[in-house]
Amino acid sequence: MTASTLTRDPAAPAAHRPGRRVRRRRENLAGYVFLSPWLLGLLGITAVPMLISLYLSFTDYSPLISLSDASWVGFDNYRRMFTADQSYWHAVTVTITFALVAVPLKLAAALGVALLLNRTMRGISVFRGLFYLPSLLGGSVALAIVWVSMFNREGAFNSFLALFGIEGLPWVNDPDWALYTLILLAVWQFGAPMVIFLAGLKQVPVELYEAASVDGASAWRKFAHITLPMLSPVIFFNLVLETINGFQGFTSAFVLSNGTGGPVDSTLMYTLNLYIKGFVELDMGYASAMAWVFLLVIGAITVLLFSTGRFWVHYSDNEER
Amino acid sequence: MSSAADRAAPPNRGPLVRFLVLLVIVAVVLYPLIWMIGTSVKSPQEIVSNIGLIPEKFTPGNFAEGWTKFDVSFGRFFLNSALVSLLTVLGNTISCLLAAYALGRLRFRLRGVWFAVMIGTLLLPGHVLIIPQYILFRTLGWVGGDWPYLPLLVPAFLATEAFFVFLIVQFMRGIPRELDEAAVIDGASPYGIFRHVILPLSRPALVTTAIFSFIWTWNDFFRQLVFLSELKDYTAPVALTLFIDSTSESAVGPMFAMSLLSLIPVFLFFVAFQRLLVEGINTSGLKG
Amino acid sequence: MEPITRGGTPAQRTTRRRLLAAALTVPLLLGAAACGGDDDASSGGKTELSIFWWGAEKRAELTDQALALYTQKHPDVTFKKTWQGNQGYFDKLATLTAGGNAPDIFQIDDNYISEYAGRGVTLDLTPYTQDGKLDVSKFPESLRKYGEVDGKLAGVAMGENTQGLVYNKTLLEKFKLPEPKTGMSWEEFINWAADVSKKAKLPGTQDASAVYQALWVFLRQNGKDLYAGKQLGFDEADMTKWFTLWKDARAKGATPTPDVIHEGNASDVSKQLIVTGKAGTSWVWTNQMPELKKNTEDELGLMAYPGDSKVQWARASLYFSAFRGSKHKDTAVDVINFLANDPEAAKILGTDRGLPPNTDIRKQIAATVTDPNMKQTIAVQDELGKQFGPNPPTVPPQGHSKVRSELVRVAEEVVYGRQTPEQAAAAYVAAAKAAIGAS
Repeated sequence: MTASTLTRDPAAPAAHRPGRRVRRRRENLAGYVFLSPWLLGLLGITAVPMLISLYLSFTDYSPLISLSDASWVGFDNYRRMFTADQSYWHAVTVTITFALVAVPLKLAAALGVALLLNRTMRGISVFRGLFYLPSLLGGSVALAIVWVSMFNREGAFNSFLALFGIEGLPWVNDPDWALYTLILLAVWQFGAPMVIFLAGLKQVPVELYEAASVDGASAWRKFAHITLPMLSPVIFFNLVLETINGFQGFTSAFVLSNGTGGPVDSTLMYTLNLYIKGFVELDMGYASAMAWVFLLVIGAITVLLFSTGRFWVHYSDNEER
Repeated sequence: MSSAADRAAPPNRGPLVRFLVLLVIVAVVLYPLIWMIGTSVKSPQEIVSNIGLIPEKFTPGNFAEGWTKFDVSFGRFFLNSALVSLLTVLGNTISCLLAAYALGRLRFRLRGVWFAVMIGTLLLPGHVLIIPQYILFRTLGWVGGDWPYLPLLVPAFLATEAFFVFLIVQFMRGIPRELDEAAVIDGASPYGIFRHVILPLSRPALVTTAIFSFIWTWNDFFRQLVFLSELKDYTAPVALTLFIDSTSESAVGPMFAMSLLSLIPVFLFFVAFQRLLVEGINTSGLKG
Repeated sequence: MEPITRGGTPAQRTTRRRLLAAALTVPLLLGAAACGGDDDASSGGKTELSIFWWGAEKRAELTDQALALYTQKHPDVTFKKTWQGNQGYFDKLATLTAGGNAPDIFQIDDNYISEYAGRGVTLDLTPYTQDGKLDVSKFPESLRKYGEVDGKLAGVAMGENTQGLVYNKTLLEKFKLPEPKTGMSWEEFINWAADVSKKAKLPGTQDASAVYQALWVFLRQNGKDLYAGKQLGFDEADMTKWFTLWKDARAKGATPTPDVIHEGNASDVSKQLIVTGKAGTSWVWTNQMPELKKNTEDELGLMAYPGDSKVQWARASLYFSAFRGSKHKDTAVDVINFLANDPEAAKILGTDRGLPPNTDIRKQIAATVTDPNMKQTIAVQDELGKQFGPNPPTVPPQGHSKVRSELVRVAEEVVYGRQTPEQAAAAYVAAAKAAIGAS
């Protein structure tokens, strides 16, 4: 996969300055100098485990045996995944539902609150911190206890509904609703994209708004014609990352369901299923195969996002188009 | 910062409405956390049976119990976490900035390929990497050595967290290229541009990177659990699991108390650093 | 991968695969091998053993003391101790094992012991029992046997328990209801529970359809078993009976609503309905009683599971095993022997891991226990122990943890009304067969 928007070199500059070749060579070298720590990390730390997992995906491997004893099974793991494992497809459905609902809601919440917070107002930094607090809890055991207590039959949420005479459901313990409590949890932790939006909003030059005001533009026009386009690289980043995160969602599903994906597999996310296969059932070869299929599919989705990005993401560095 | 949008709203009412809206959202968002505070002062029997906000029997002893429950005080675990988190922040900001400058701003051979590979490393679920990584790091002699944090820190200094590289790349692409070109005309080399143009303008991206890498490291559980084996080396998230053994005893009250305490450092880190975000660069920076 | 999987004759392909595997793993293995080397004798008299267990702080304190006592008696042996709560314990143990770096001594349970023994991770302790270095002669026979995998002793039980039904005495007294008794039939028990629900307005019992150890007892009472060697010991008809039994119990109002049943199906001590106050009885193991008591102010009673209690057995609540790749095997075995049989060490360890496995020591400890709940546990366990019948089950085969989790999933399908007992029975037999790799 490739980020086509980034790979394309722009057409030759209009002015042909002397020493362009030398500059090119210098820039080429500089590129690799700056890239060297990452390259070292890639080759030394990231690539080896990735390749091992790729190899293991073609083997029958339990972590309890030595790597060299993993027995080659060809495409058996992949075949089993696509033809014989019902829980696999169930987990795929759960994950897609989760990502499709949670990602847009979370991004909308993050952008909405970021816009509200992007003001000079007394105490605004306290607000920012408070909104970020839920994300600080990460996926701790405490969080799981909190969430279950909010959304079980006697939970606070149902007490709230009772004020309006509505009788609530046992949300977290209801197989039809458990996934939505998980989605709500993801949306509740909108702090990370919110901070990134805030940082992005800071990059929008105030001069643009000032010029627009002189022209008598409405607040909405300024939002649509200045804020959104200027923010689009950051929106794009959040969209790509939250999509990847959404599909990879593990921790909250793990802690909320005690590592089971229950009730009756209703919160069995892809990566949770993968963890169960690899670490609980000790079938790490199969888990590796699941991971590589995941990489390919999410990779394809990412490429798709990148290619749509060309139509709506505006970069100030004028590199594409 | 003068916001033009503010001026469009009728005087006085706009800010007040906004304040009230924010207040309501904050109340909803924070309710679960307030509930946590309530639970951290409940007795063991109440934690299991009373799920209300207010404890019937106020039990502040959970904090003292949690702090001193183990042979090593919980303060030590916080210090360990702080050390690991701060060094990770340092490693991530430096190494990811360098890589992002190359991938986002410089033109060199195979750049597109490297960028794609970088994104690709984001996509593989981490659980299948833990075991190969453990084997690798053990081979390198980093596991269980005199400095148990090596396996957690070295990757940070080698920009293996592609999330941050991508983040900084995206921010850099918001910096007008005219600035580079102007610098080139002035005879600046790629290093000079990095030093004088990119570095000062990358502050929001770097602050964001710092905030996230601190918080993620502070909350990271699985890798720290796998690589740390001595009580005195444990970090806060690993130590929190010592309270709960679901097959026998669980000290839920002290666990909640320590969970709450462990929020304080990250919260303070966030508040301190986000101020740098707020000040921003938009007025001074762009004129170069 | 393409050229490797497609090109060449099968033999060439195999060679290439081997080469690929070697290229990927050899450097790592070389490194790993370089770390291992010296053996027992060569480390200059000083030995450091690594030991790893899960548990709470209390267990850590007691184990620390017992190990310190060992060091006091054998000054040349010290310990590198690692402990944590059970969350993530087996993930870490598997990772350490994959790295060839498993601890010399580690705690394990019947969920995983066959898995570790089957993969050759645990040291075969049988020879040590023959030359007297490891003494299991004072263990109840069924308990010793429960540590054998494929005829080899894979782990030494560090505690004994058996199925125990815990009921809320305070509740029963309040509503002047009779206490349940060991020996009640399942029918009688469920009727009793329905009666409790009606009069106390609290569900009489947790629904046990997802509780594997209850199913296990039920199967044995019907002349079946959970496993027959490495095959399933039951069929669809048995499962239909089991799921129907509980479906009827729910219809009679003996059990809570599905969401509460689901909550109680978590194995955590603190989530058992008896302590969360959502049901009158919970299905646990006898040694968990004192811990349950800490989470509730109500008085608790303890009895065997319904039906003929002779089919219950002395189960190892957990074991210590030694790593086959350990550099200090003999010392490791000696430490395990010490923890299981030394009167002083046993006195320190008490009943934290379950009832002491050595029956002589158990008598000693029983006399000194002060916690009334532990006293009751010991009394019940002793009483049941006298009646345990012959042919206790062997330790569950590989795949057991999946057999357990599938039972929860399938049973809940019935509880939530998504499947009939018949459908669920068929689904479960298929899933359980697949889990243990049986035909």
